[in-house]
Amino acid sequence: MKNRNIQKIIRNNMPWLILLAVSVIFSFISPNFFTVANVINILNQNAYIITCAIGITLVMMAGQIDLSVGYQMSLIGVTMGLLVQKLGMPTPVVFLIAIIEGIVLSEINTLLALKLKITLLMVTVGTMTVYNGISFTISESKNLSGFDDMFKFVAKGYIGPLPFAVIVTAILVVIMSIFLNKTYYGRYIYALGGNEEAARLSGINVNKTKLMIGFFEGLFVALGTIMLVSRVGTAHSGTGPGTEFTVITGILLGGVSIRGGEGKLSGVVAGILIMAILANGMQLAGWGTYVQFIAKGIIMLAAIGFDVYQMTHRKLVVDKTKDENGN
Amino acid sequence: MSTAIRLDSIVKIYPGVKALDEVSFSVEKGHVHSLVGENGAGKSTLIKVISGAEVPNSGTIYVEEEPYSQMTPALSGQLGIGVIYQEYNLVPSLSVLENVFLGYKVGGKVFPDKKKMRERLAEVEKKLDIRLDPDEMVSMLSVAEQQFVEIAKSLVRNVKVLIMDEPSATLSNKDVDKLFDVITHLKEEGVTVIYISHRMEEIFRISDDVTVLRDGKHIFTGKIDEVDTHSLISMMVGREINETYPERHTPIGEAVLEVEHLYGNGDRDISFTLHKGEILGLAGLVGAGRTELAKVLYGAVPKEKGVIRVKGKEVEFRNPEDAVACGIGLIPEDRKGEGAFLNYSILWNSVVMALKKDAKGIFVDDRKLEEKARKLSKTFQIKAPSLEQLVRNLSGGNQQKTVLAKTFAADTDILIFDEPTRGIDIGVKHDIYQLMNEIAERGVSIIMISSEMEELIGMSDRIIVLHEGEMMGEVKKEDFDSREILKLASGIKEKD
Repeated sequence: MKNRNIQKIIRNNMPWLILLAVSVIFSFISPNFFTVANVINILNQNAYIITCAIGITLVMMAGQIDLSVGYQMSLIGVTMGLLVQKLGMPTPVVFLIAIIEGIVLSEINTLLALKLKITLLMVTVGTMTVYNGISFTISESKNLSGFDDMFKFVAKGYIGPLPFAVIVTAILVVIMSIFLNKTYYGRYIYALGGNEEAARLSGINVNKTKLMIGFFEGLFVALGTIMLVSRVGTAHSGTGPGTEFTVITGILLGGVSIRGGEGKLSGVVAGILIMAILANGMQLAGWGTYVQFIAKGIIMLAAIGFDVYQMTHRKLVVDKTKDENGN
Repeated sequence: MSTAIRLDSIVKIYPGVKALDEVSFSVEKGHVHSLVGENGAGKSTLIKVISGAEVPNSGTIYVEEEPYSQMTPALSGQLGIGVIYQEYNLVPSLSVLENVFLGYKVGGKVFPDKKKMRERLAEVEKKLDIRLDPDEMVSMLSVAEQQFVEIAKSLVRNVKVLIMDEPSATLSNKDVDKLFDVITHLKEEGVTVIYISHRMEEIFRISDDVTVLRDGKHIFTGKIDEVDTHSLISMMVGREINETYPERHTPIGEAVLEVEHLYGNGDRDISFTLHKGEILGLAGLVGAGRTELAKVLYGAVPKEKGVIRVKGKEVEFRNPEDAVACGIGLIPEDRKGEGAFLNYSILWNSVVMALKKDAKGIFVDDRKLEEKARKLSKTFQIKAPSLEQLVRNLSGGNQQKTVLAKTFAADTDILIFDEPTRGIDIGVKHDIYQLMNEIAERGVSIIMISSEMEELIGMSDRIIVLHEGEMMGEVKKEDFDSREILKLASGIKEKD
């Protein structure tokens, strides 16, 4: 019994244990790794990815995948750049428009999936190209800049010893964890991921729930983009694409099942940080960008493979407990 | 008479479970041999051992008196053993001909000899007295026709022993008759048939011999005339079973659901009234439009025309959410696909429909929900070590009880049961009947869809009969007669 509890604790906190292992390994390789400054630096660099991941986690828990995230970010980014550089709009208004744009873009995906009755994956394969095209057209492939101090404070400002973006991200993670676990809307997302048809026949409004997920996805992707553009200091159509890959891999590493219905937001944070530390480590080891692509791809496949392995393996484990209880 | 297959002390152990415990019996050549037992008795494992999908831990399999310690799928195929599983192994997007000869070479090395294949298929069709269009896509065929494709597939491979796992489960009564004709022809061709079914009447109709398994042990093998339904069932469950339907003394109250000239989802002009505390049976053959009607009443599919009144108030359902809000609940036919969340716990499942209702603002009240789940699992006698058990790991009967608890948790008082006892063990079926009676006595009104005539007659206060989307008539309890209902269900309306 005790043994099984330990097993359960290990299984439930696997992402954090992997994160710990990876951190320990790197602290041996590089003595500078486990310093307060470096840890804060890694958190600050990845705050925008974690913020985006919150939104995508909701999508994936409901059993869907959105491939257009990076291109949404690209489009939102250059929109902000244009609003600032060409129209000189004040930063708060720019933020508001960016958030609305994020929500609109992701709701377009959701509505297309609902109306055409196809998966979000299929829709976003199409819309990602469209978003990308619009982004390059309106920005004319130029670097856009001219952001004011308030804009830059998002990623570069500190409150006490902590970066502003990290504090905001932490608050968002806590709020959304509570939302997912303690509200009935959150449970509905799990229901969709568990069995969409059963959810519908249980009187859950599936369409409404999907639109709600789309709302949050757009909101968090927009917030993530604001952090990203603020960090880079300029907006360009090439900034953003590729993020979806890191985010999806991190979410899978964090214990969210590719079939939906499983996982925790805290695990996702660990999953993203694992990706971040590995990237950091590979850079320290002097690996080129393209070699890193190969490594990241392999990690993603490993995460999916592990997810599937766990699914089949867990069945056996539970069957065993059943027997011990005399069934 | 020689034996086609003889099993000697077959043992198969899964981690922690003895699925087959020293099972020995033989199957006579050219006979139809029925294999019966409750779910989990070891029937499926036995089939897998014979077909080579599973390797036994010990024991010997004799095929025509040739001993083998284990089978492989390739070997059993060579020896002429074929299996038709419940889920057909057909490729929907290929033609009948291509499916029949899938993985079986006729003609040259690269290009198959289509002409030869056609001749071969025609030969088989003649032998079985069936008709199949070789060029039709399998996805266009009815379930019964797909089954014939499976049988033809075995026969072109010169099958000697054909194992059929619940072949009648998804067929209508008419198609079952056709299936039995085919089995008779198979027998004439000298093919041995091992037949697995839950339906007693079928077993007595078709088989020469019968074997009973219980908890992985062999209980009985003998001629079918040595046993009757009663003795067979008591051998299967190991105790005497109360075969009668539980009695109910519920006063039938006012009308709670009125349906007038309802059109939609393939059904036409349906009118009936359901009263408080009543169990209304919905009879009909497969494809009569019963499940379709249930989906319209539940708002899962929109209606086209007509009026639905709940407790005297006219309603328009846009989705099931609206129906649940009016107190209507549905226990779907497809328990695993539409009813339960298999990967979640009993606790999670049983309160999912009460989440919003019992919430404080937008926050769920976990303590209240757990208490509710505990009460429900007691009321509905869900047998599991804890509420944390995943529904995936429950038996069919307990899964059904969980779905029932889930629907009941939403305070529904008009429940539509679609095939509530399909695939459920005989012993547990009785529990479900008892539960239905209990909730009817509490004032819940029930619409019960079932393909088992006996169960429908035993449980209902009134039966309405559908045929191809139309209402054929309404039969009152004092006039219940299975032949009469079947006639209506087949579309024969008598004029008096």
